[in-house]
Amino acid sequence: MDDMTTTAGALTNAERDILHEVGFADESTRAGTSILADQTMRMALSHDPGVEILPLAQALNTYDFVQGLMFGLVDPEENEHVRLVAEHMHDPLGHFIWVKPGAKVKLPVQSFTLLETPQGRQFTHDITLIDEGAEVEMLSGSAVPASVRKGRHISIGETYIRANATCRSVTIEHWGPEMEVHSYGWSRMEAGATSTSTAIMMSPIRHHASHSVSILDAGASATSQAVVFAPEGTSRVLASEARLIAPGARSQDVTRMVSAGGVIENRALLVGAAAGTEGFLGCDGLKLTDAGEIRAVPSLSALAEGTQLSHEASVGRIDGEKLAYLMASGMSEDAARDLIVQGFLSLSDDQIPASLRARVAAMVAEAKSGGM
Amino acid sequence: MLEIEDLCVEVAGKSVLDGVTLHLPPGELHVLLGPNGSGKSSLLASILGLPPYRITRGAIRLDGVPLTDLPLHERARLGIGMAFQRPPGLDGVSVSAFAEALGAGETLAREAAALDLTDFVRRDMNVGFSGGEIKRWEILKLFLQDPRLMLFDEPESGVDLEHVIAIGQAIRRMVRSPDRQDRPRAGLVITHTGLILRHVAADCAHIVRDGRLIHSGDPQTLFTHIQTHGYSVPDAA
Ligand SMILES: Nc1ncnc2c1ncn2[C@@H]1O[C@H](COP(=O)(O)OP(=O)(O)OP(=O)(O)O)[C@@H](O)[C@H]1O
Ligand SMILES: [Mg+2]
Repeated sequence: MDDMTTTAGALTNAERDILHEVGFADESTRAGTSILADQTMRMALSHDPGVEILPLAQALNTYDFVQGLMFGLVDPEENEHVRLVAEHMHDPLGHFIWVKPGAKVKLPVQSFTLLETPQGRQFTHDITLIDEGAEVEMLSGSAVPASVRKGRHISIGETYIRANATCRSVTIEHWGPEMEVHSYGWSRMEAGATSTSTAIMMSPIRHHASHSVSILDAGASATSQAVVFAPEGTSRVLASEARLIAPGARSQDVTRMVSAGGVIENRALLVGAAAGTEGFLGCDGLKLTDAGEIRAVPSLSALAEGTQLSHEASVGRIDGEKLAYLMASGMSEDAARDLIVQGFLSLSDDQIPASLRARVAAMVAEAKSGGM
Repeated sequence: MLEIEDLCVEVAGKSVLDGVTLHLPPGELHVLLGPNGSGKSSLLASILGLPPYRITRGAIRLDGVPLTDLPLHERARLGIGMAFQRPPGLDGVSVSAFAEALGAGETLAREAAALDLTDFVRRDMNVGFSGGEIKRWEILKLFLQDPRLMLFDEPESGVDLEHVIAIGQAIRRMVRSPDRQDRPRAGLVITHTGLILRHVAADCAHIVRDGRLIHSGDPQTLFTHIQTHGYSVPDAA
């Protein structure tokens, strides 16, 4: 089944190359693909009967229930950015990805956003529905050609993971160095749903504020890891909130941040709103230079008795003892530093699809020296 | 190979070595004996150039090259390597990533089995290793580096009897064979138990006490002496 929709021209090789850097692979090797470039959905296709991918505007006309999902997790008046995106509510730019009930999708589903026009502005709204008992792996990311340094991107994502569904996702972000990006993600995990997510934010960007809120129902389990790098001139604010609203909900969130002169602020809130819930927040920061700043602010809010919440936070410089240990085998100080930073940012392989591991490792290796 | 003359070392404003003179000829293995806190590890650290030890007087030379002004990694590149007493854990840095960074991936594959560490190549260095595993890894690490002057800080402490044999044999194999450039090696071992000497014979032992090298002599004779008379100078006993 090859069901291609709304493409204003196939992707060029140059576009494919740029996307490849953030995890894109030829659409024939993916269960489904969605590509948005500037103001157009360039690709929305699926090769798997268990997956449907439509431009959101088209999905609204095709399926009545999509209206209920749109702004189902966030109020259109939430803040000025959300309001900006909501202005296009009648003709939204973004995708609707639907993994059908019970579908066990073998190949990954991929979705990417390109900003190709310098000084471009993009306001996008994506909706993802992983239906009951479905299983899927999602790869997503953003990219710009080298010519795009400045630009503005605001995105809203609403993700529904229905009962007993499983979603494993990896996101790789690579925006322009002088861009301003605000990304908002809301997700709702129903009973028994499982999500494992990895976010890789290594590229220079003037300002990126990302906000995410997840709500976890009974027995739902979310594990997320993020690696964040900020060279000089980069400022990243990550605000996240996980609400454990029913017994058995579990969340584990680990963020590792490296500043090579840039600023990173990580505000993470974990709310235990029911007995029998469990959550962990870990934020570790490594500062490579005197310049820059890392602020880690984990907070826990136990609203119910019998919720177990904990956090660990550390921010520091490279440990001199570790450095000396490596140099004692003949490594230069720079090589030893690189190895330590790379180790600090290393992600557990079992959370990353095999097809992406080499790419992810390369991104981490590039970023540590600030060369990306 | 190694010449230490009248070495005085301070750490945190406190003297830890006071006028140590020690000569280690090529091909030989010497033992350092001494009570806890006597300065044995400080001596090895000073040879290698580990922080925070500060040399206040004296000289250290490797084949006539003065070491005291050389930074740590240059001393290592001249051919000094150390099996640490208590190495730090390196989260996220796997044994194989480390070996690759040293350009010693092949050596790792070849030597890991001899030290029963084949399954460790994907593990992070010293993270979650048991006491004995750390000691075996530190020896394997020396194979990767291929140093000419090898410093072993209590290589067998906390190691089970079977693995002491493996470590002893590995140390013998290294010390008694030339390096990749066909130069003879030499070793300096700190040991409290002397167990390691059953597997690799030492040529000379030195007793360190309160930061001073108070006596040198035949290893077996000194061990027997220490067992009855403690860390003292045999003649005076
Ligand atoms: N970094 C340091 N800061 C403060 N004191 C130190 C430091 N390193 C060593 N010392 C002190 O120097 C003295 C010698 O220590 P050293 O580690 O050399 O002893 P050692 O002979 O190896 O003992 P052990 O048999 O217990 O390993 C001790 O009193 C120790 O506390
Ligand atoms: Mg010691």
